[in-house]
Amino acid sequence: MSDRPPQRKAINRLLVEPSVSFQLVRPSTPEGAIRLLSQAGAGEIAVLAGGTDLSWDLDQARIAPIQVLSLGKLPWKYLRWENGSLVVGSTLPLRALELDPHVKRRLPGLWEAIRDVGSPALRSRATLGGNLGRCSPVSDLIPMLLAFDARVRIVGPNGAREHPVDMVLQESRRTSLGPAELIESVILPASGPSAYLWQRVQPVNDISQVGVAVAFVPERPHWHIALGGLQPRARRLSEAEAVLRSARPTRFEMELAAQEAARRAEFVSDKRATESYRRRLVAVLVRRAIQTTVERMPKPSPARKGTR
Amino acid sequence: MTRSDAEPKARGAVEYGTDLAAPHMLWAALVRSPIPHGRIVRMDLGPAREMPGVVAVVGPDDLRDLLPKGALEAERPVFPLDEIRYRGEPIAAVAAETLEQARAAAAAVAPELESLRVDARIEDIFPEWPSEAAAKDPRVVGHVHARYGDLDAKFRNAELVHSETYRTSGVHQVAIEPHACLAEVRDGTFHVRSSTQTPFGVRDDLASILGVPPSRLVVEGTWVGGGFGGKGAAFLEPYAVLLAVASGRPVKLSLTFEEEFELGRTTLPSIIRLDTAVSRGRIVGRRVRLLLDTGASLPGRDFAVGYSIGFLLGPYRTEAYEIEGFALQTNQPPFGPHRAPFAPQSVFALESHIDGLARRLGVDPIEFRKLHAWREGDRTAYDQPVGPFGLEAGLEAAARTAGVWRTGLPPGHGIGVACGFWSTATGAGGEARLRLRPNGLTILQGEREIGNGSVIRGLAAVAERVLGLPDDAIRVEYGDTATAPFDSGVFGSRTLGALGQAVEKAARSLAHTLASRVGAPAIRLEMKNDQVVVVAGRRRQKLADLLTPAERTAGGVVALGKHYAPERTVDASRVLAGTVYPYQDFTAAVHLAEVEVDRETGHVRVVRYAAFQDVGVAVDPPGLTGQVEGGVVMGLGTALSEEMLWTPEGRLANPGLLDYRLPRIRDVPPIHVKTIEGFAGAGPFGAKGVGEPPIIPVPAAVANAVADATGTRVFELPLTPERVARALKLL
Repeated sequence: MSDRPPQRKAINRLLVEPSVSFQLVRPSTPEGAIRLLSQAGAGEIAVLAGGTDLSWDLDQARIAPIQVLSLGKLPWKYLRWENGSLVVGSTLPLRALELDPHVKRRLPGLWEAIRDVGSPALRSRATLGGNLGRCSPVSDLIPMLLAFDARVRIVGPNGAREHPVDMVLQESRRTSLGPAELIESVILPASGPSAYLWQRVQPVNDISQVGVAVAFVPERPHWHIALGGLQPRARRLSEAEAVLRSARPTRFEMELAAQEAARRAEFVSDKRATESYRRRLVAVLVRRAIQTTVERMPKPSPARKGTR
Repeated sequence: MTRSDAEPKARGAVEYGTDLAAPHMLWAALVRSPIPHGRIVRMDLGPAREMPGVVAVVGPDDLRDLLPKGALEAERPVFPLDEIRYRGEPIAAVAAETLEQARAAAAAVAPELESLRVDARIEDIFPEWPSEAAAKDPRVVGHVHARYGDLDAKFRNAELVHSETYRTSGVHQVAIEPHACLAEVRDGTFHVRSSTQTPFGVRDDLASILGVPPSRLVVEGTWVGGGFGGKGAAFLEPYAVLLAVASGRPVKLSLTFEEEFELGRTTLPSIIRLDTAVSRGRIVGRRVRLLLDTGASLPGRDFAVGYSIGFLLGPYRTEAYEIEGFALQTNQPPFGPHRAPFAPQSVFALESHIDGLARRLGVDPIEFRKLHAWREGDRTAYDQPVGPFGLEAGLEAAARTAGVWRTGLPPGHGIGVACGFWSTATGAGGEARLRLRPNGLTILQGEREIGNGSVIRGLAAVAERVLGLPDDAIRVEYGDTATAPFDSGVFGSRTLGALGQAVEKAARSLAHTLASRVGAPAIRLEMKNDQVVVVAGRRRQKLADLLTPAERTAGGVVALGKHYAPERTVDASRVLAGTVYPYQDFTAAVHLAEVEVDRETGHVRVVRYAAFQDVGVAVDPPGLTGQVEGGVVMGLGTALSEEMLWTPEGRLANPGLLDYRLPRIRDVPPIHVKTIEGFAGAGPFGAKGVGEPPIIPVPAAVANAVADATGTRVFELPLTPERVARALKLL
């Protein structure tokens, strides 16, 4: 320091960048954001929509972007109801969804999936768009979006498009978004009751060994079952769904659907659980999630009840 | 009563090890081995030396120039001179102007290494239980063997023999503050500031590692952001000193969290076999065998086994026994103490075993323990007399609570009991210097407060109790190893029990001096208008008026208290190999856990918890409750979720807090803390240390509750959902 020539210090600063060094850009319009994305080369820019997952990659030096594009100033932190559908702006913190009484009442499965992501501090940063865009195989939210048949509104240099969530997800950590495209919002169509169940070693700040999303929707097939925690990405299990034929399946049908789900799911063994334990969990949690969903169905009117 | 460190800590105003800084300071980084076992064929440190900002790089070849001859023969070399013994072992160190520069230079070192066979786990060395010949394997690096009585006859004539094997996992201390230190050379003396539980211990370790006399070393402790046993010996200090010598500048070294995990000094896995012979409903013989992974440890391997094995016999009367333990050298990082070193793991095995045996005999588990529990005057396995011991009283209190819990217990729930036993390390000595000034009392001593309050509150509470001064008139002061009176450090729950005795003696000596000055048989002190007043019967005098002119100049009356306990011995005729350790003190803990087990997934939730702690006398009740609650929470981690996962290749798969799972606040049940008083320990007024005992019975209590709820025993820690599911044969 004082016993070193000053030039040496200046040179050091130029030569050695700190391990995490990038330019943070915060455009205030979607057009500005898309322009920045279009101008950047591959790997030069990373999109920040909360950052709870991105910061991990930066910290571990798995990526080394020149720029980090924050979506924090875009006007996408909204939540609104349109014709019974819930439209969630992609940068709305999960905590806002969790605290909304209508979300909890009308989409209990979504609320359950959100409520147990990380911790309250993390949910104050994390966003639905970020979660979807990162496309993690261990996401707790993606299975629920799949079960709801959510649609994703994407904006990019060629305008806006809308796709079912299943088409947006490709494989672990990969979506079908173009390099200059962004998720503007997620649209959750009107649905009947739903439930999300998970198993973790610990309830808070842990990663689900398995996540099970179930939704009952007005159109056929009525029952939607999606699983998370599997490879390469969360997916619907139509084989298990097909077992459930009525709004009030018998216990036998529930068990059959759960067994079918456990049989069809593609799992791997890793440090969080073995493949056989994950299969066991699916068999239990699918049955319980269907059961919970049934319990959330509107009660039959007392008059009808009397005639049975 | 307040904790005087609470407010400055909340404001961020205290200096922890990680906050250390000095003018012209350099930052250090370690070059760590990418392989778990092997040799350095070639390591060129030249390129790293040319990196920007780098001031010094030291490796094995530099030791000869930097250190006196003796250091190269040290039991623990600074760098591997022969073999690399674990992945992440430091093989060189770098000091640079900035932390980033130091890390960049460390990353640029590309040694040519030769890999050797990796023994990552106990099973890699002994897939089967070792025969006597196998015990000669060079990887068996410690052996302890003791026996007493005609064991063979007891087993031959037994009505029932209960035999089981238990397994435990490695657990990390996870102090929230990483290890950190700063070293500099001043006038030919090495000055080290470090976040440590044992400044004097670090000084002596450094002296042997560096080959310099202790008189040339000064170690100063900082505030410690949690220790739990992990900050009790020299660790980073030698690297910082070497770099300070090589660079001529102060050098700071602190670890990342990943390094905290990979460098270890933690509890490592064990396999425990227990055979118990029963006749007429009583235990008549015990056979205990232990395989303890001591990783790449060099010193202290025998100690780890000898110490662990005492817990496996437990606080129970035994007519005949045989205990045998082996320390195994694997390519995991060195073994290190973790709050009540190895007791929670040993007690998990023992108390699960005793519980299962009671159930097998159709006897109430609490009554069965009472039948065998040590009482004062019984003899230990090593033939020491048992001192005042609150185990039976604790069991009786637990039985009452268990009875209440048992009524209306929901289906799927179970209640488990477990006993723990601890010997407070009151044998390790310490001194304290008390200075009574006209405006208050100061206690100068050689420990640092590591967070639990035993120094800043416990020692003050002792002086408070002897002298009558209010706690805000008492200040605890810290010194370095050159200025503070000697103390062994914070370990073995000894601060209150051992250093507290030194404080008590000094306080009594002050009281005696003042009593003779006022011509009274006894005095007490109180504060009036910020002045110390000496009260003798109805007479009250200001302290200021009782001081001699010399004392007025010096600033008050001084007393030095020393605590050096008499050495305890064991019956050596019972020890066939290695060393076993005498008990210093006898502290009991009885815990009750109620759990709910998901019979379909194996998930365990602890519903409520009760801890009955034998304390002798509660000197600082709020601090005591906090310690017991903290111990229970930490024990719940060992019981349910904490586990270092090593791959067969010797790599730690979970070096971070996402997949190394500490208990979160949502995992913590209501904890009822009850003290058992009246069984006096060696500490001041009969107090016993409570730093470690409350963690000991937790894994066993939880496992026994799971067995109660499901009828199935889990033989391996931690009780993760998947492990419980396997035990329940769900997959």
